Amino acid sequence: MRRAILILGAALAVIGPMLPAASAADKIHVVATIPDLKALTEEVGGNLAEVESLARGTQNAHEIEIRPSLMLKLRRADLLVENGLELDSWAEVAVQGANNPRIVRGAPGRVDVSHGVPVLDVPSTRVDRSMGDVHPLGNPHYSLDPGMAPIITQNIVDGLARFAPEHRATFEKNRQAFLARLDEAMARWTRALEPLKGARVVVYHPQWIYILTRFGLSQAATLEDRPGIPASPGHLTKVIRQMKEERIKVIIVEPWNDLKLATRVAEEAGAKAVVLASMVGGVKGADSYIGAIDHNVNALVMAMK
Amino acid sequence: MRPWALVFVLLCVVLAPAVATAQDAAALRREIEQLQKQLQSVTERLQRLEAQPPAAPGLSAIDLARPRQPFGLYQQRGAGQLLFDIGIAGDFVGNITQKNVEKAQGGTFSGQENRFFPREVELSLFGQIDPYASAVVRIEAGEEARGADTGVHLAEAHVTLLTLPFGTQARFGQVRNRFGYSNEIHEHDLPWVDRPNVMRNFFGAEGLHEKGIEMTLVPNLPFYIEALAGVFNGDNETAFGRTSLQAPLVTGRLRTFLELGNEHALQLGVSVANGQTPERLPSTILGWEGRYKYRPESWLHPLVTLTTEGLYSWRQFNVVVDADGDGVTDFLQKKQKNRLGWYLGGELQPWRRWAGGLRFDWSQYPENPGAERSFEPYISFWPSEFLRFRAAYKRTDRTHRDGFDLNGGSARTVDEFLLQASFILGAHPAHPF
Repeated sequence: MRRAILILGAALAVIGPMLPAASAADKIHVVATIPDLKALTEEVGGNLAEVESLARGTQNAHEIEIRPSLMLKLRRADLLVENGLELDSWAEVAVQGANNPRIVRGAPGRVDVSHGVPVLDVPSTRVDRSMGDVHPLGNPHYSLDPGMAPIITQNIVDGLARFAPEHRATFEKNRQAFLARLDEAMARWTRALEPLKGARVVVYHPQWIYILTRFGLSQAATLEDRPGIPASPGHLTKVIRQMKEERIKVIIVEPWNDLKLATRVAEEAGAKAVVLASMVGGVKGADSYIGAIDHNVNALVMAMK
Repeated sequence: MRPWALVFVLLCVVLAPAVATAQDAAALRREIEQLQKQLQSVTERLQRLEAQPPAAPGLSAIDLARPRQPFGLYQQRGAGQLLFDIGIAGDFVGNITQKNVEKAQGGTFSGQENRFFPREVELSLFGQIDPYASAVVRIEAGEEARGADTGVHLAEAHVTLLTLPFGTQARFGQVRNRFGYSNEIHEHDLPWVDRPNVMRNFFGAEGLHEKGIEMTLVPNLPFYIEALAGVFNGDNETAFGRTSLQAPLVTGRLRTFLELGNEHALQLGVSVANGQTPERLPSTILGWEGRYKYRPESWLHPLVTLTTEGLYSWRQFNVVVDADGDGVTDFLQKKQKNRLGWYLGGELQPWRRWAGGLRFDWSQYPENPGAERSFEPYISFWPSEFLRFRAAYKRTDRTHRDGFDLNGGSARTVDEFLLQASFILGAHPAHPF
């Protein structure tokens, strides 16, 4: 008898930690491909959702290493929230390895938040890789444009409500509360960037077009020769000349890109290289959606002073 | 009777319009009341809106028009989109080695010594069949023999059932078996110019690829573990070759993964394959694998990658016995040969476009006596994500000539310069860890 109790106790000790906590089990388990979508899903899902991200903020969202740990996250997921437009197509490999029918392509648990987004940089001519790593469906970096948050969160509400229709009203309430806070922040950002309207900036990788357009700035050139193709010396010389001619003051650099190179080019052109959060968590202090945009707006304003 | 009827008809003719007019008036009154109510509601909403603080300045038309209500999903993205992906991967290799090695056909690319040739040009078609299954078809072309016309064959064609219960998936068709780390990787995706010696010696130049079915299970646990079991024909001539489901090739694999923070990751696995040889004798191969990557935070590529894999083979052979020494076979005796092989590789990638590494191989031969060891330093350069050049030097030392002595040549010591050029055209799925 004592032996049986001992075995039972040992088994419980081993199996116990494997069982998910009751409170976590009650929640909708959502996995987002990138941290921006994690942050927005947390806003909409509130206490009803537990959200994880596959990519980290400091990573390049185009090239995420497919680790089995991603498959482990997806194995438990009720919903997979993805950016779409081929930014996170790498997630498909992880999904296929996760053996989770709830989130395979075409399942109700697959939420593509790009539906309804007015996509920029959609190629109007035939594209091939001589143009670099182009996105045939358009520029996929819309998520850090606060003006897109209403569309994204609407898609998230719909996705969450497909899983838990009884909570749709709560999700919608959470969304409205978040959008109200976002509206306030939007007014602040618009005021801060108002004096910079019409300014031109150089970017390392063309992923800032949405937020620049939103606040009336524009992209003059990229440090990359073409998307995803490293800069050649000839191209950099051309960019430096253009920056001097147009008196461009700022080069925007992603946390994962080569800051040293950008700084050298900026110094050469009499400008500044500034690291912006390309995703939530990309830089220190950019730990929430509004926080990341706050950081980006402030950094841009400071750099362009 | 007739006058009364006439009066009735006259009354109807006179009164009917009056009744209709009265009904119309009532309906109109109701409509006006409803409109008044609607107007009142709109006025109240307008007053409420006017009482609110003014909208934030600078909001664009997109902000004002943004959807606050559910809208239709699945909008069309454009005409003519393909329903599946198409990609082409090309892999060309060249090698320069000694004349005697060429004569003995004892180089890494046996029979193709001192040549540059298309090793593998692969057309991949992959995508969803329906919400429940995906499929992959790969058609390969390559120069299979010295100077021969390029042959085309079906490399892979399999269907994966994605929506099975209890964390399982099933894959059936012709597959590159998920046995160890490198076997399932196609030539152009390998982290070296050539497949490791032990894999070529134990499974043949093209590795283990079979026709059959395999199931995977990823249990819902706090740690990652993938269990795989498969049943195949056993067509691989080098290791099995029974080619019948009467005595199938049965495979299994357990794979786990450990993450030590965001920067360090380790994958470990064990595999097993059990089948029969054409002589109906048992053949079992046990494999183990390990892969470690150190990827500093925010780097686009790993700085250090270590890979190791080993195989141990138990295989029975019929040995001819001449008991009385009269030169006539008296009987066949079953004999077991246990063989081992392994490799260890390390790669350093300090820059995004450049990597260098070294692989050490040691392997016995499944049938012949002796062993070989080789070391292979190499350097890789990626002008872009879709184009790669690689150069390597490989030195192989063998303990015996047996098996590498064709045409009176000898390949006990082999020095080779290996070159590789690989490209990807179109779609290519992300690489697993």
